[in-house]
Amino acid sequence: MSAPLTAPAGAPAAEPDSGAPVIQTSALSKRYPGPVAALDALTVTVAPGITGLVGANGAGKSTLIKILLGLLEPTGGEARVFGRDCQRDGEQIRGLTGYMPEHDCLPPDVTATEFVTHLGRMSGLPPTAAKERAAESLRHVGLYEERYRQIGTYSTGMKQRVKLAQALVGDPRLLLLDEPTVGLDPAGRNSMLELIARIGAEFGISIVVASHLLGEIERICDHLVAIEAGRLLRADTITSMTQVSQVLLVDVDEGSDELLAELGRRGLEPRRHERSLLVGLESDATYDIVRDAIADLALPLNRLEQRRRRVEELFQDDDDVADELATAGAGGSGSGGSGSGGGPSGTPEAPHVR
Amino acid sequence: MSAETGVIHDIGYRRYTGRRLGRAQIVRALYWHSLRSAFGLGRGAKAKIVPVIVFVIMCLPAIASAVAVANGNARLVPYDTYVFQLRVVLMIIFVAAQAPELVSRDLRSHVLPLYFCRPLRRMDYPLAKLAAFITACLAIIEIPLVLLYLGTVAQAHGPHAIWAQTRAFIPGLLVGLMWAVLLAAIGLALASLSGRRAYATGAIAIYFFLTWILAGILIAVTQRNVVRSATINPPPGGRPPGVPATGPIKVHMITQVPTTASHLSGLVSPFTTLDGVRLWLGGTSKGPLPGVGGYGALYGVMFLVLLAASVGGLFARYRKAGAL
Repeated sequence: MSAPLTAPAGAPAAEPDSGAPVIQTSALSKRYPGPVAALDALTVTVAPGITGLVGANGAGKSTLIKILLGLLEPTGGEARVFGRDCQRDGEQIRGLTGYMPEHDCLPPDVTATEFVTHLGRMSGLPPTAAKERAAESLRHVGLYEERYRQIGTYSTGMKQRVKLAQALVGDPRLLLLDEPTVGLDPAGRNSMLELIARIGAEFGISIVVASHLLGEIERICDHLVAIEAGRLLRADTITSMTQVSQVLLVDVDEGSDELLAELGRRGLEPRRHERSLLVGLESDATYDIVRDAIADLALPLNRLEQRRRRVEELFQDDDDVADELATAGAGGSGSGGSGSGGGPSGTPEAPHVR
Repeated sequence: MSAETGVIHDIGYRRYTGRRLGRAQIVRALYWHSLRSAFGLGRGAKAKIVPVIVFVIMCLPAIASAVAVANGNARLVPYDTYVFQLRVVLMIIFVAAQAPELVSRDLRSHVLPLYFCRPLRRMDYPLAKLAAFITACLAIIEIPLVLLYLGTVAQAHGPHAIWAQTRAFIPGLLVGLMWAVLLAAIGLALASLSGRRAYATGAIAIYFFLTWILAGILIAVTQRNVVRSATINPPPGGRPPGVPATGPIKVHMITQVPTTASHLSGLVSPFTTLDGVRLWLGGTSKGPLPGVGGYGALYGVMFLVLLAASVGGLFARYRKAGAL
């Protein structure tokens, strides 16, 4: 279990226009030929810190990133990064921004050092500085002696780190990371997320992490921006968003009505969700209360787990989310998620108890 | 992970406060990087084989000529055509092997988004690549010419002889420039069509070789064979003593005469197109073309069309290929 790494260690170093929000879009739209709008009047402001950009595949995350980098013209509205207009000052913005693409983008037959050094040059660093910063960036992402090996020999986790290092090499003020944990095993995901959290907290670099896995990035984000079909679904601080997952799902084979009543008597506010019960998770004590109630009623417990929802699921039924929020809001914990962390493998799961 | 975390934590992050280069200087850095890779510099020994061999063989005629001149003979090779066939073959090998090195690798490994998310503009990338490859082809073509010139003027006597050599040498350099620009543009445009090196190399080699052979065949079959007969009469002053008397002697000569079709055949291949432009601009040495007749300007137009199509194709490719 790792502690949430959300506290910024210091304000980002002063930039000429540090007063402006990191990202600001107003009524930003992008329509491709055809009926679908990739972005539909998206208005959102991103403050310094780590921001999760969540949305299902095709929700418009990549389109937004392209527009922010000045590589795609919006069909309506405007976008600003550090107060600079993305269409007019794309070149300056790209000078201040590091981008880590989702897909594989590494040549197999050069060493990580050579590759990152070259991209440092492409970021505008003079030759010597590019070499130094490439070595430093690779060290920051945890590549040491391996950096003299050809990238083709690397594991997926190491490749992801090289991708992150090339984004860092130009000393950006903003990092745009597109699905940084894609293809990684749980351990690899955890260390990548910790790395991102540290870069945001200790390096003073603002980060936008695009992901379709809400449960994953909520651990490291200060803010969340959720988009769906190009529209803003919600933008909020992490504390109000994580409550979504501060919900226990209890699934008993029989006697769910009795359990509903019993849990109410014990001071919880259970709600029905299909065949299961949802209980706001206030603290670890909630687990005990539920366990005791089930044990006392001698019910066959099938499943007891903290609800970890994929963001697609979250967006499918807004009413449901509202329900959950109402449930969880009653607890008013919001202390940064005592039960979170541990990644997908860390989901508490009770065995069949009698 | 926790051990690594500790180490990273201790090092800390340092901001970069030094100088940052502008876009023009970034393009220049990409140009140098690409130029180096055209010769396999910064890569393993294997990557240097083709450029080195091509360059050395291309220099051999110049060296042979320098030796001949030093021994009192005339210059062996003209400046404006050099050794035409040799140059064609070597340039096909060089372009087919090295153009994919510049563009196909980046396409193959999807590196382009990493360029375009940086201050570069989209068209800066093909521009830097094209400039670098033109420079590389120039080096392969012109350095042997310079050697040829130096080897010749080293033995020249007096300013007049040196001036005569220089006057022949400068048009040779200009022809070399045309070669470098056109071959580099065609090579990169074809290479940018495929991320697979082997395909790119194959496409370039096939295009250059096939059109070159086709042009040769067309030139050969479109020339007309003309049989000329002549009658040689015995000298009117009577025969010298002792020589038997003869009647008039009939002589038949078969000569190949260029036709309009053979004048136009060269338009098929970039190499014969280049030679047509050379002849049109006043080149005197014998090349593969039997002449351009009155169609010299057409070769000039063809040169520009090929160049525009390749450069346009290359840039159009990167308008799309750069998508993140």
